[in-house]
Amino acid sequence: MSPRERASSVTRAFRAPRQGTSAQISSRNASTPRALTSGGPPDPPLPLESLFDAAPEAWVALHVRSTSTNDIAVAPTIASSESAAALAHLAEIAGGFTSRVSLEPPDAVLLEVRGSFRLFGGAQRLCRQLLDRCGAAGYALHWSLAPTPLAAIVLARAGQGAIVLARDRLVGLLAPLPLALLRWPDDALERLDSVGVRTLGAALRLPRAGFARRFGPKLLLTLDQLTGAAPELRRPVARRERFRAQVEPAFELQTVALVLQHLEPLLDELERFLRVRQSGIDWLKLRLQHRSHPPTRLDLRLATAELQASHFAELLSLQLSRITLPAPVLRCELRSGVLQAFVAQSESVWRPGEHGGGAGRESPALIERLRARLGSDAVYGLCLVPEHRPERAFGIAEPSAAPPRSTAQTWWTARRPLWLLREPEVLIDAPQGLQLLEGPERIETGWWDGREVARDYYVARDGSGAEIWVYRERLPPHAWYLHGVFG
Amino acid sequence: MGQATCDTTAEPSLERLLEHPAIWRGRSVARTATLSTGCTRLDDALPGGGWPAAGLTEILTARSGLGELRLLVPLLARLGAQPPPRWAVWVSPPFEPYAPALIAAGVPLERQLVVRTAEPAWVIEQSLDSGGAALVLAWLAPGVATSVTVLRRLQLATQRSGAPAFLFRPLTEASRTSPAELRLVFEPHVTGGRVQLLKSRGGERKPLELRWQEFSLQGNALQEHALQEHDDVAS
Repeated sequence: MSPRERASSVTRAFRAPRQGTSAQISSRNASTPRALTSGGPPDPPLPLESLFDAAPEAWVALHVRSTSTNDIAVAPTIASSESAAALAHLAEIAGGFTSRVSLEPPDAVLLEVRGSFRLFGGAQRLCRQLLDRCGAAGYALHWSLAPTPLAAIVLARAGQGAIVLARDRLVGLLAPLPLALLRWPDDALERLDSVGVRTLGAALRLPRAGFARRFGPKLLLTLDQLTGAAPELRRPVARRERFRAQVEPAFELQTVALVLQHLEPLLDELERFLRVRQSGIDWLKLRLQHRSHPPTRLDLRLATAELQASHFAELLSLQLSRITLPAPVLRCELRSGVLQAFVAQSESVWRPGEHGGGAGRESPALIERLRARLGSDAVYGLCLVPEHRPERAFGIAEPSAAPPRSTAQTWWTARRPLWLLREPEVLIDAPQGLQLLEGPERIETGWWDGREVARDYYVARDGSGAEIWVYRERLPPHAWYLHGVFG
Repeated sequence: MGQATCDTTAEPSLERLLEHPAIWRGRSVARTATLSTGCTRLDDALPGGGWPAAGLTEILTARSGLGELRLLVPLLARLGAQPPPRWAVWVSPPFEPYAPALIAAGVPLERQLVVRTAEPAWVIEQSLDSGGAALVLAWLAPGVATSVTVLRRLQLATQRSGAPAFLFRPLTEASRTSPAELRLVFEPHVTGGRVQLLKSRGGERKPLELRWQEFSLQGNALQEHALQEHDDVAS
């Protein structure tokens, strides 16, 4: 770099920004409102003026280029569901960069990224990543970064990929742009045109009081919002709360392995969806559609909220390995359950139980693996039910790491067996072969719900010497039943 | 005096030398980590003074429900109370584990995980390898052929994970070989049971008659303790 060049760059860096002057975006001063070049060298440090004057907010506008026509006046009329879906998808992508995303129907998305600069390594890199992501999703965009949302939109509509961080530089950039970019009502634009006001700079130079009297305070407010003199409040975009995606391959999927292969991109998308929201799901539904058969459905229930695509893929493959496809698959559809807050935890170097690794905790992963292969009914925990009828005094519970409850809630006084038979067995020759050890304990209850029991329970020893729990019906024919084993 | 010091130092050093894990003397028990059974006489009879802490134990009975589960209730209660919360996995139990009785014995219900499956070996290995299981109790149905290879695999899984697994098997399997670390036959006896070791690394081979009263149920002991404290405060 020659001394002269260096001197010019220094003067450029310290040049006092003047408000209201018209500045041309040219290759000469491209370093301050820098044009974005993809794949170029790494970002040079921000000019000093940007560091001093950077506005508290930095808005990126993403303006979808209309493919059918470039006529701006037509744009509002094609606010179809298609463009709404495109904006929602763009907002989705933008959610990966900031939490402040706002829609500007019919064709723009705004995101405030000032707080994300440090994470992404500067404004340029952030914008480059954002555009790469949008480009990968197949969107042709105009974009711009400016201190106010309206200025960002206007610059984007003008097709200028500019990064403006300082509010002082903003007016200079906006001044030469046509007034029509503000999308004001046609009659206002025509009247302004008739007095020779065709650019934003000319409109900004008009006397404020006269402008407000002729065109109303609303348009004046727009001008103030454009330069940042008045704040503009943007409504943040409401996010989808569930994930739903489907894939329809070009050919019918014959094997489970192929289905899994086609599910992979969906699961990756699911992971991105969840990461943006910092949430996980504990419930995932898969629907495989066939040509003539009813669809195959799979429910994946997890013990704790998860978001990793590889984890879902492993559990889905375990579940799919259990079933046989009735027919080739035409379409795969994934639906998530309600999102839940997800807190990532660092993993240990050693797996629990592995050599050198300590004992693990009761792990949800074990339950998920078992359930994925055996079905969710086959794996359960136990709980106590406050009920005198022995067959109803225990219940099947969701295995959980709930804190231990007080064991002082034992309401029975006599011994209880460790095993209970699912159905009491009739003892035909009782009580001859039995040696009654304890009892009777009379249990007579449940008349209110139609499952009345009236029994005398005994602890007995059978012929082989094992202790068993038997009862005798109090009602005729006074049959004896085996109900439990003290095993 | 020099003689005396020599004697006193020689004995501990010899003891220390014999403590070396590579030295094994006939008739001595294998030096493996064990878990107390909760019954002093059973502890004394078992090699190392308890259940293998990381090994496969087979308990053979004529049929299910003769009292063999009661051998393990103190262990279930103790492991359930130990700090990192881990599962006690019940694989294909023959009946329903009865929650009121478990609570009364001090077994924490929220740590019990029941798995009903036709593939018990897979579940046992998964549970052990996950590191989330404190112990595994498994009932292999009489009809299910269990090869030595499978048992060997399970024995290795217990060693890998450092958690014990207990297999309840029919008495007819007693004649077959098994790679389990400990095998014993249980049969009911007056107010207790009789335990006969079939295979062990050391330990007594004589049949041992146990009474249920000898099993100290930690849960009950704790409750009594708490009651006493309560009385103290009241008085």
